[in-house]
Amino acid sequence: MNRVQKMSLTIVITFSLGIFLGIILILMRFFDVGIPKIVFLFPVFIAGSGGIISITCFKKDKGTIIFDERDKLIEKNANLAGFGAVYLYVILMSFLPIGILGEEGSIPVTWCPVLLIGAGFCQAFAQSIAILIQYGRRDKNGEKKFK
Amino acid sequence: MVKRNLSNQIRRLRFENGQMTQQQLADKAGVTRQTIIAIESGKYAPSLPLAFKIARTFGVPIEAVFQYENEDL
Repeated sequence: MNRVQKMSLTIVITFSLGIFLGIILILMRFFDVGIPKIVFLFPVFIAGSGGIISITCFKKDKGTIIFDERDKLIEKNANLAGFGAVYLYVILMSFLPIGILGEEGSIPVTWCPVLLIGAGFCQAFAQSIAILIQYGRRDKNGEKKFK
Repeated sequence: MVKRNLSNQIRRLRFENGQMTQQQLADKAGVTRQTIIAIESGKYAPSLPLAFKIARTFGVPIEAVFQYENEDL
């Protein structure tokens, strides 16, 4: 696994955990369990920690050549996947409030920056998944890990 | 749909050239070992300059390393 793969895997794991916790918290709120609003920052913190860990903890790969044409192609495709995901996210976030709240509904303007952060998470998540898929499941010796 | 197949003889050529390791070939071709693994297993089709570099590393023409099979041509 190279550095980019390790970073992507960390992001995918922490983001997935964040999404899972977020869904649980939303369900708890839906069923009136009675949780303070501040708890909703916890999944965001977990997801955000993935990004920080991936940047700070993984050192540069050893060897003279650490980036080549294949890595460049994978990076390009991953960027495209991230862009596509953000595009879908924007479409979804544009129409979802209408579907949930109705035509007469309204949302606080403080949600706008939150949507922007969500777009960032969405981009990083899609990009990381695309990177992992393109590199494939292979270990150090070039053999498949799972059969 | 046109069926395309790009096969290669990198593995055989490595062993014929003093059991060259994937890392040694990667260093000579100027790519990472992961890329050599991907090319060898047919998961990645290299660019033309890289294909030439690999062929020159073995001292053989490019056709001796990569074979393109197309049913229509």
